[in-house]
Amino acid sequence: MREALDLTDVRVRAACGGTGVCGACVIRLIGGDVSSPTPAEYLKLGPEQRTAGHRLACQLRIKGDAAIRLERPARFSPWKSIPPENLQPLVGCHPDVQSQPLGVAVDLGTTHIRIAVLDRQQGRCIATRYGRNPQGDFGADVLNRLEAARACPKRAAELAKLARGAIVRAVRDILARDIGEVTPMLAEIGQVLIVGNTAMLALLTGHGSDLLLDPANWQQSIDCRPHDLAAWRAHWPFPHAEILPVQPIGGFVGSDLLADVRATGLSDGPGGALLLDIGTNTEIALWDGKILHVTSVAGGPAFEGTGIRHGMPAEPGAIFRIRQEAASYRCETIAGEPAKGFCGSGLVDAVALLLDQGVLKPSGRFAAPVATEGYRFDPTNGRSAITSADIDAFQRAKAATAAAMNQLLAQAGMGWGEVHRLCVCGAFGRTLDIEHAQSVGLLPSLPHGAIELHADAGLAGCEQALLSLQGADYFNELIAKTRLVNLSRVADYEDRYIEQLRLRPMVSGSTVLL
Amino acid sequence: MLNSFIKAYNEAVFETDKDAAFSAVNAALTAGIKAEDVVFKIVIPAVEEMMSNISQDPDANLAQHFMTAQIAAEVTEKMLEKFDHPPDIIGRVVIGTAYGDLHSLGKRIVMGCLKALMVEATDLGANVSAERFVDEAIARDAQVIAVSAMMVHTAIGDNGARKVRRILKERGLEERIKLIVGGAPYRYDAELFQTVGADAWAPDGVNAARTIIHLIEQVKHHEAVADL
Repeated sequence: MREALDLTDVRVRAACGGTGVCGACVIRLIGGDVSSPTPAEYLKLGPEQRTAGHRLACQLRIKGDAAIRLERPARFSPWKSIPPENLQPLVGCHPDVQSQPLGVAVDLGTTHIRIAVLDRQQGRCIATRYGRNPQGDFGADVLNRLEAARACPKRAAELAKLARGAIVRAVRDILARDIGEVTPMLAEIGQVLIVGNTAMLALLTGHGSDLLLDPANWQQSIDCRPHDLAAWRAHWPFPHAEILPVQPIGGFVGSDLLADVRATGLSDGPGGALLLDIGTNTEIALWDGKILHVTSVAGGPAFEGTGIRHGMPAEPGAIFRIRQEAASYRCETIAGEPAKGFCGSGLVDAVALLLDQGVLKPSGRFAAPVATEGYRFDPTNGRSAITSADIDAFQRAKAATAAAMNQLLAQAGMGWGEVHRLCVCGAFGRTLDIEHAQSVGLLPSLPHGAIELHADAGLAGCEQALLSLQGADYFNELIAKTRLVNLSRVADYEDRYIEQLRLRPMVSGSTVLL
Repeated sequence: MLNSFIKAYNEAVFETDKDAAFSAVNAALTAGIKAEDVVFKIVIPAVEEMMSNISQDPDANLAQHFMTAQIAAEVTEKMLEKFDHPPDIIGRVVIGTAYGDLHSLGKRIVMGCLKALMVEATDLGANVSAERFVDEAIARDAQVIAVSAMMVHTAIGDNGARKVRRILKERGLEERIKLIVGGAPYRYDAELFQTVGADAWAPDGVNAARTIIHLIEQVKHHEAVADL
């Protein structure tokens, strides 16, 4: 019960990691099919409490429908646990780590921050959290944040503090709830590994923002290490931790992509494996057997909700799936809440279904005029509407993504016929309807099974590195195998982009003028 | 017969269907219609119609403008190779993205429309210095410099349009070469183009092509008057 509630906004109090020792997570069972009380509950709850229906949420298992009441919920926290189905099993451990056994993996994204605290000795994940990057208040656009940091050192320090503060609060939340002690445990953290896109790393370390704003630097590697490592580390309340921001590949290809590659084992298999990490800045990697070709493209904001009238990140209330049911549609939302808007996978479903029904034409025009508020998928909910401007933003996002993949293949001298694997990571999570994505030309028409959906791969790759003997060196070895492609310097890219704007399965080859 | 090709081409362009548009052009050529007529009677009227419709077609989106401009540009480019005599050029423009800015796609629509309308447009690419804008304009005898900027700091910065204006002034070229700007920041502040010293701005690529042609006419008129 506690684990289920940790995925939502309503959490029980907790201070022991679910062992039943602290007794903080008392709830009242109103009725339903649940497990019998455990010895821990007999120890912590008196007979009167038990008669009144009190139970410990961490001990209670639900077998069917049940009703409970939270009389003393925990204070609201912006941090939630990552759904267990998104987590990859951990491999490896460091039995020789004697002191400071805890490790912290961080995937620092433009929109979201994901964190895991691990016991490195046992190779065990203690808990995970995800929440919004508070820098978002300075602008969803990465460039706005970089510009703010460059213009004013005070602002730069503020931005760094926002991200650092968020990471620290998430770690404290895990320590408080899942171990039960905060300050002593902060001293038990031995290593913090942070992956992220280049801009986020630059803002966190206070080094590289100015370089990133100059296009001359975009193709080369950008040093995002703090000027004075010791002084920088002193800002963190982890007295014994080695805090490592994993260096990015280049201007707009971050170390989160390296972590994705690690988590999916992309470069461990034969050539012809492609990885797409959809985000505000979409990053792409192609493993050809020897070289990891990487690039990035501004393909993703629409898939994270930016620029879409009722767009939103994959958060509670987001329509993540739409299904056709006879003459109407059924919108499924995250956490089953009333629809507040569309996240990326819901948007793909919306466009694919409208196209399939002939409501929308391949040009992106509606076949018949729709109201200015847009086309409603749920007639009773105005936030389920898609406008023609949304379709335009979608077309441009999917064209950029598709064109970038095609271009990267061309740069490597390969074609889709040689691609046996496509790993899709990032904003779509695991809810993307692959056939819908193929029908609008966002993803190629590869055989069934070749396209894999990975959620939270960046965090998983970071966790794997924390538990491996190589540690962060793994990433440096991978960087040595990469070749960075800057699409803004590739002449064909714009033609490919325009070629991919129509809403239709991805094509190659067309009518030639006489 | 020509009318049926015009109809087929226009329908294809409205649907942004490049294959169908090319098929219509191929059918016209096969039927013996000259490349000159394909451009002047089929392609150019279609571009002009798109320009006049832009404010009346609320459903038309940027993606469609990209696709239709591309069709027009590709057809025109191919047909020009078949012309008996090189066509009269309306004028010349150099176009590029401001220094520090790599968003080069914005100018594609302008380029496509201009090409189809017989304006010689030279794409200087992205991250173009102010000096290079002016030097290239002089070298190519261009009447207009078009500077695209998609970020606030490249739109208002000292190395973008402002600097182009300064150089034009220093070299006494202000009557000979006009400066137009475009890109997202100018849409949020309709006065911004004046702040950075531009002669004109346009809210979108299709309108930019139209405005550039006006500027070319202004320069040519001024030169004609000066010659008298």
